[in-house]
Formats: sequence, C-alpha cells, structure tokens
Amino acid sequence: MNHAATRRSHLPQRVLLPLVALALLGAPALAQDALGNENPGHEAPKRGGTLVIGIGQNPGHLNPAISTGSEVHAVADSLFNGLVGLDDQANPYPDLARAWEVSDDARRYTFHLHAGVRWHDGEPFTSADVAFTFQQVLLRYHARTRTGLAGRLERIETPDDLTVTFVFREPYAPFLQQLNVTEAPILPRHVYASVADVQNAPENLAPVGTGPYRFVEYVVDDRVVLARNDDYFKPGLPYLDRLVFRVIPDANTRLLALERGEVDFIGGLPAGELDRVDALPEVTVFTPNSGSGGGFCVMTMSFNLERERFADPRVRQAFAHAIDRQQVLDQVLFGRGRVASGPIHSQLAFAYSDDVRAYPFDPALAESLLDEAGHPRGADGTRFAATFLHFPAFAKYGEVLRQNLAQVGVQLELVALDRAAFISRVFEQRDFDTNVISYCNNSDPAIGVARVYVSSNIGNIPFSNAAAYVNPEVDRLFAEAASQADVAERGRLYAEVQRLLVDELPVLWLVETQFSAAGRAEVRGLAPWSGSPAEAAWIAR
Amino acid sequence: MLAFVARRLAQAVPLLLAVAVLTFLLIELAPGDPIVALAGEDGDAAYYAMMRERFGLDRPLGERFAAYMGRVLRGDLGFSYRLQQPAVTAVLGRLPATLLLIGPALLLSTAIGLALGVLAARRPHSLGDTAVSTVSLLGHAVPVFWLAQLLLLVFAVRLEAFPVQGMRDVRLDAQGWAGALDVARHMVLPVTALTVQFLAPIARVARASLIDVLGQDYVRTAVAKGLHGRVVLGKHALRNALLPVVTVIGAQVGFMFSGAVLTETVFAWPGLGRLLLSAMLARDQAIVSSMFLLLTVAVVLSTLLVDLLYAALDPRIRYG
Amino acid sequence: MAERWLAARGWAPRRPPALSPSLLVGGALTLAFVLLALLGGTLAPGDPFAAAGAPFAPPSAAHPFGTDDLGRDLLRAVLHGARVSLIVGATVAVVSLTLGLLIGGVAGYRGGAVDDLLMRFTELVLVLPRFFLALVVVALFGASLANLIAVLALTSWGIIARVARAGVLTVKEREYVLAARALGGAGPRILLRHVLPNVLTPVVAYAALQVGNAILVEASLSFLGFGDPNLVSWGYLLNNAQAFVRRAWWLSVFPGAAIVLAVLSINLLADGIRGRRAGSRG
Repeated sequence: MNHAATRRSHLPQRVLLPLVALALLGAPALAQDALGNENPGHEAPKRGGTLVIGIGQNPGHLNPAISTGSEVHAVADSLFNGLVGLDDQANPYPDLARAWEVSDDARRYTFHLHAGVRWHDGEPFTSADVAFTFQQVLLRYHARTRTGLAGRLERIETPDDLTVTFVFREPYAPFLQQLNVTEAPILPRHVYASVADVQNAPENLAPVGTGPYRFVEYVVDDRVVLARNDDYFKPGLPYLDRLVFRVIPDANTRLLALERGEVDFIGGLPAGELDRVDALPEVTVFTPNSGSGGGFCVMTMSFNLERERFADPRVRQAFAHAIDRQQVLDQVLFGRGRVASGPIHSQLAFAYSDDVRAYPFDPALAESLLDEAGHPRGADGTRFAATFLHFPAFAKYGEVLRQNLAQVGVQLELVALDRAAFISRVFEQRDFDTNVISYCNNSDPAIGVARVYVSSNIGNIPFSNAAAYVNPEVDRLFAEAASQADVAERGRLYAEVQRLLVDELPVLWLVETQFSAAGRAEVRGLAPWSGSPAEAAWIAR
Repeated sequence: MLAFVARRLAQAVPLLLAVAVLTFLLIELAPGDPIVALAGEDGDAAYYAMMRERFGLDRPLGERFAAYMGRVLRGDLGFSYRLQQPAVTAVLGRLPATLLLIGPALLLSTAIGLALGVLAARRPHSLGDTAVSTVSLLGHAVPVFWLAQLLLLVFAVRLEAFPVQGMRDVRLDAQGWAGALDVARHMVLPVTALTVQFLAPIARVARASLIDVLGQDYVRTAVAKGLHGRVVLGKHALRNALLPVVTVIGAQVGFMFSGAVLTETVFAWPGLGRLLLSAMLARDQAIVSSMFLLLTVAVVLSTLLVDLLYAALDPRIRYG
Repeated sequence: MAERWLAARGWAPRRPPALSPSLLVGGALTLAFVLLALLGGTLAPGDPFAAAGAPFAPPSAAHPFGTDDLGRDLLRAVLHGARVSLIVGATVAVVSLTLGLLIGGVAGYRGGAVDDLLMRFTELVLVLPRFFLALVVVALFGASLANLIAVLALTSWGIIARVARAGVLTVKEREYVLAARALGGAGPRILLRHVLPNVLTPVVAYAALQVGNAILVEASLSFLGFGDPNLVSWGYLLNNAQAFVRRAWWLSVFPGAAIVLAVLSINLLADGIRGRRAGSRG
C-alpha cells in the first residue's frame, strides 16, 4: 500500500487516529503531538485565547492558490488545507487526504479524502473541489504548480465524492511534496466556479476555506483577524479562539513587539539578534528548514557565463578559492546555517551528496589562477572590476565578498536593486557579471533545483538559470531523476548531477540558510516551518 | 473672493495633469515590471506571457499611456490588483491614520514654536536668542527616523512607558473611549518625533516676524496711545506675526508627509508611508500615481488655505 | 520713547551686530566639517570597507568610535562619510544655484510669455514632493548616489529661481528709469551687476539649506534601504546600525551625531547669512 516513492511512509489510519486521540485527551501526553509539534511541558492543551502573529508585509489578497508570494501565504494558509501536510523534513502526513496509494510506476496517485469536511460556509467538501482547484486555478495561476505539473499531468479522476486520482503521463516521483497547503491549497468550487476572473474577485478578500480558522476581518496594511473554525475536521483542533496577523514591516520593531509581548509569534529575525533572543527565557527561537515562502534554501552566487571572463572556469574557481565561506557564515548569518557544498540542501537527505569537489579558502591559489587566466594585477593592484547584483536585504553578503575579493585584486561593485528591477536586469537584459540569489530547493530537488541548471530555463524567467549554463548531461540527469520511482535510484542520479555541477562550477554555492522564527514561551504547539503555524497551537498560562 | 478661489483651483488642474503624466512615465520607464508582484516567482516563460497579456502589460507604451490619461481625465485613478481595490480607496483609506500623526504634531509644534518665538523675540540677537534658535534648529537637523528609534529605545524598551508599535493593541481590541485612549497611548512617541521635526521652521519664522512686527510703526503708535503691553502684543503684534508662520506651515506640507513616512516605518503605524513603499516595490503604478496626486492636491489646497487665512488675518489684504 | 517703554518691560531689541552668533558659530562649525571631510583620508587612513579589528568592539583608544559587525573602524567610516555628504550637498547646492539663477534671471529679464512659461514650470517643480520623488527614482532606477544627486539637484532650484526673478524685477524697474533717462536700453550686464549682489545673500542662504536637506534625504533613503552600497555615507552607516541597535549603541550614535552636527552648523550659517540683511525676515 505504501510505496517507496514516498520517502517516509505515512502512518496508516488505524495507527494515527488513536495517537491523535491520545495526544488530545491528555492522558499520557506525548512530548510531541500527532503533527510533530513541540510540547516540552508535556501538558494538556488549553483551549481559548488570541494568538497575535507579526508579519512583515501586507498580504494583499487572501487567495493562496493564485500566488506564490510569501506574504499571501503567511496569512492565507491558515484558512485552507492541502491534500497532505509536510513536516520540517518535508515528509508528508495526512491533511485533507486521510490515506493515499501510489502505483508502482509512480504514475497514479490515489487519495482518499476525509468524510464530513465542511467549508466555512457550511457546504460539504468533495473531490470535485480538488479537481476544480487543480484544473481551473492551480494549473493556470500558481506558478510552481503550473510549471511543475502542467506538462506532466494527464488527467484527474474523481470516481466518487471522497476519492481523487491523479494520472501522470510518465512517472513523477516528487508529487507528494507539492501537495501541502502552500503548494496546492484547495479552493471551494461552489464559490469560485461562477467567478469570471479568479485573479480579480472580491471573494479573494473574504475567503472561504476548510482550514482551522475562518475569516473575520482584513484591514489593509494593518491586520487580518481570523476566528476558530468550530467545525474543523480534525477533532479537537484548533485550540485558539482567535488568530490575528499584525503587519509590522520593520524587522527590529517586530522583534521588539515580540519581546514586549505585543505579538506572540514572528517569522524571521535579524540574524545578529538570534543569540541574544535565544537566551531570553520568555521567548523560544525556532530554526526550521522552511517557511511560508519556500524552504531548504542555498545562497547562490551566479556567474554570467555569456561574458568571456566568466566563461573561463579558472576565473570561477579563483572566486571560489578567494571567498571565505566560513566568514560569510560567521559574519552574515552569525553561525546559523551551514557552508554549502553544492546545489542541494544537506537536509534533503535522500538527494544530498558530499562526494563532490571541494574549493577550500585559499587566496594564494586564487591569485595564481587569476594570473594564469590572463588577468594580472595592474599598477594600482587591481586586476579587474565586476558587478555584483543583489537585493538590498542581501547587501551583507556583498560586503563580505567585496572584502574577500579585494584581497586578490578583484574590485566588486555592489548594485542593489529591488525585486522587480533585479529580475529585469538579470533575467531580461542579462546585464550583470555576478549576482546572489537565494535559490530554494523547496522540499524536492525536482521542484526547486532543476530549474536553475537546465538549459530550457534560460531567458526572461525570474529565478531560473541566471548563469545561462548549458549541459545536456545535466538536463538528462535531472529529467530522469524526476521521473524515477525508486528513491535510491533518484539519490544516485542526484549524486551524479551534484558531482558534475560542482566540478563545472557554473555558480558558486555560498551557504545554506535557515529560516528563523520566535514565539513567546507560553505558546505551545507551533509549527514554524508550515504556512499554517497555528493549527495546533495553544497558550499555556 | 469666490472668483479668486475658483481661479486658483482652475490653475491647479494643469498642474495635477502634469503630475499624473510624470508619475506614469516614471513607473513605466523604470526597470522591472509588475508581473512578478502580480504573478509570483517560479513560473516559466509561457506563464509570464499569459500573465502579461492578462494585465495588458504587453501593449505598447503609447497605447497604455493613452488609456491611462483617458482614465485619469474621467477621474478614475486606477485599480490596484495587488490590493484588489481601486487605488483611490486604498490611499484614502490610509490617509486618516497619517493625519492622526501629522495633525497633533502640527498643533503642538505651532503652539511650542510660537512660544519659543516670543521668548526669543524678547531679546533679539542675544545669546539667549541664539540658544533658542539652536535648540529649534537641532530639531530640524536630527534625522527623524534616528530620533524615532531613539525615542523607541528609551521610552518603549528601556522605560516600557509606551507601546512599541502600531496604532492600537490588537489583543485588547478596545472600542469607544477605551479604544480612543489606546490609540492615544500609541500616538505619543511618533507624534513627539514629528513635533520636534516641525518645530524649527515655525519657531524661527515666528521669532523673525515678531521682531519685525515689534519694530513697526503701528506698534509704536499703539504704545504711544498708552495701550497695555500685553494688548499690544496679543492684538496687534501676534496677529500680524502669524502671517509668515502660516505661510511656512503651508509650504511644509510635503516635508511633513515625508517625516510621517519615516516615522510610520519605525513604529509600524498603518498609514500612507508603508502603502507607498510597498506599492513602489511592486511597481503598483495606480497606487503610486494616486499618492503623488493626493500630495499635490494637499499642497495646492494648503497654499490656497494659507492665502485665505492671510485675508482673514490682515484686513488690508483683499482678493478680487 | 516707545523703546524705553518696551525696554522697561523686558523687551530689548538691540541693533543686529555685524557678526551674529549664528554666523560665527555656524561658520566655524561648517568650516570644521569641510576640513574634516577633505582631510579625513589623511587623519584616518585606510579603506573604510576593510576589516580593521574585531567585530563589535566598543569605543576604545584603538578605535575611538568602535567597530561594526564586519570589524570595520567606525571613525574612519564617519570621516569618509563626511566627504560623501560634502560631495552630495555641494553638488546639489551648486547645480540648484546655477539652474535657479539662470531660470529666474531669464524669466525676470525677458518677462511676458517666457516669464509665464518658466514660472509655471517652476511652480510644478515646487509642488512636487521632493522626498517622495527621490524615493521613487532611487527605488525604481537603482540606489546609486548619482541618481540621488540628480533627482535632488533637479528639484531644488525652485525657490532660488523665485528669489532670483524677484531680484531681477526690482532692478529692472530702476534700470528702466535710469536707462530711459540716459542710454535708452538696459543691458543684461548692467542688470547682472546690480541684481547679483541684491539676490546673492538670500540665494546663498537657500543654497546652504539645500545642502543640509540633501544630507538628510540621503540618510533617510539609506534608512529605508535605498542607499548606495558602494559608498560609505552616513546614511549607509545608520542603516547598517539598525540591525545591531541593542548590541552596539555606538554604531547608531556617532553617525547620527555627525549628521546632526553637520546639518546644524550649515543651517546656522545659512541663518546667519540671512540675518545680515535688515529686518532679518525668515
């Protein structure tokens, strides 16, 4: 029934239900509840209270199926569900689907839905909602789902109200990692079927979902107020009466608000403050691998391979040896993270391989490589200048790199561009020497990694193959790995592609980053890696 | 009088049109387009082509410009897809919050500025006078966000006397009088920062014009007639000294809004400031144009108001 | 008699001294600022971007202003920042002075339709919200100092143009009277000779105010995240300090104090210059 295609098998129904019941009834309370959330005090959850979450941006609208923007998902994900949920290691567990089967060739996925689930307006949830959401919304407007599935999905079958089957043209292994509430939230068919334009509907500002909280109020740039869904299909959940999102754009102010108790949970702290906040008894710090906008991210420095200077591998290797990645980790991330060895995040255990070439910090070697490549030092000590494009938020990386490269005679010129201008200059005009982008693996390399290195993804496509790297062997390996059913085989293919990429070094992988989140100590049951962190949260008083 | 007002308003129309054109061109010519904010990242080429076509972003500039001007002339300032509401609604919705900071700051700074001006005018060009000038200038020289952060650290964090952010306590959700009190508590620090900022020009001008006025002939006449000192000051001098003060306030409207933007950022105050910043990052042209137009209208109206106040304060001034 | 009566009640208007305290203090401080900016590189040599010591070192003998998160010496950075501020301020002042004098002068001299057109244009520039415009330009077109200087210089000449024009108009009346009596035509050179000293004082004062304003705008834009990352400016330092405001107070205090002192001294100077005219109208 369970298949190797899922990396870790989900607990079958007959084991899961009693566990949940046990956790909720409070009799021998577990250190972790059924969702894997922390419960250090081993206490029974208390009902009631208001949780205030501080967010950094105004959500805009509240329809998570038509956008991949983290600001939308930070709020809207609490109103909806996906077919499955993903834990901090990206392993699936049941959400709207209570059980599922995957065919041996990973071409047919059949999901058995919970019975008795109702939308916030009382209408029953059925498989028709799932089919509608995928066909009319996700495959059209959700950037990641559309890009990942559109060509591969052959059809969706709904033999009855509680069964959905996805049939793929060829084997597709990572499907389960794309079905949580952030990647594939399910919308109500009875609300959206009659809407002329899903992207421009008033329904997006007063959403109806199946989620643990239902919509109450939205004041633009100020707050979003949600209330408990008393008919939530997971028994006993949620515990809180109200969930309020407060928009606080300035990161310092947000942290101060948490320390003062004006908010209870924030996602994202300034790296320099993590140690100090961690030491505070009234605050708990989390460092999950993912957040509402993606996960398993690697800060990557791309070279523009269309420029002669950087087409020379010796120059790229020189950069790799000149940059002290440990310093980047220490001074930019204050030690929170890990030096990256390649394109795949080390927490994606099945795919990660450290059997790759190493580029140790060695300025002398860098200098000799640059000399060899025909870029000697000039009279003033400089070899050449190179532009470095970045978001303003990533300026610190540029500053450390500038220091490092100055030592070997390369003058790095920092160019700070906001998102829209950055995309235009890097992907549309290709006017850059180097840049830095946080490429997120997103729970499976087929989803977030392949797009960066395959040759079909060069062009005016945001956050794709910025380096314009072309290697048919890499293309082949990625394609095969996505359509392999066997996990071990996928792992072998990804190890191979990592070896190849790290050898060729079209880009330089700097550090693996962590997400950070912090909550008041009396709040338990938070799931900070999820888009819906407060599903099982409760306040201990 | 009415004819005067009508004429001034009519003169403002080409100004507003020019501002509308300017903001449109600015956003259009700037690198980067709104597609990522609207459509999200991680898409592929076909996806973005589809989205561009949907939002009309693939039509030529001239066509988009004509459509835009047509809408503006009809009074329609655009629709913000990001916020899913008309731009004007979004902007006017956030205006009261910003006015809640600017209004009290203006009143306070006028009152204190006049008081300081009177103090300085007593002994012009003395060391005391320069001290007052320096203090009020200090307020103008301090970057308002630096001051705001300082206030935040000292009063909200160290002393815990005031809340750190926002306009009201979301948990309390107080209504009525309790709600008003809650907002007032949240207002104290940002209004203080802004008051310090606005103080300088007002105090300086109040002092200068008071000195001026006190040397005038009609003051001497009043004194010669035997009028009491305070009457001289209150009835004649102050009234006429107010004229330049009113002018300076009118001229500071743009400056006040920029101060409000920075203060709102530090205190997470849900006003126009954050709206503008996020709109720019998302290339939300409708919101950016609407805000610029709103500001221009504010400047035009305040100049008009100043001129009308002039007429009210000085019976010698009459408009035809 | 009136003076004695007023004086008895504590009102003592004195004659404005030739050199008011504002002028003296402002002038001295501004001179100090300029000197520090120009000589900064010699006083604290080295690349402000290079690491000079351990990160987060509090003020000490070795590092009088302390170090930042990347170990860079703050005193060095502040002195370099002074130079950047000077460049920004001076460029903006000079350009707006030139543009203002030119446009205002031409408008006043030519009169008629030319005057009307130029003044309408001036009105537009005066009504534009300068800070927001700078914000939009820098945010959209890239956070470089060049962009900032351009946008500030192109929007700061308005009030100077107004003053210049008023000066020209005053003189023009007089000139016509004189010329009508003598030569029969007022030449621009004569106007210039009479106009310039007339308008110089207020115009220079306004230009000085633009310098302070430019420094503040640069700091504010950096605070919002739109500063030029390739130059050490005071705004850049303040922006950098934000993330460490609880851990390293010196990172906010010294650059902030530098800004306050510089802007204060320039504004004092401007005040002093304006105060030299009779009436000392604000």
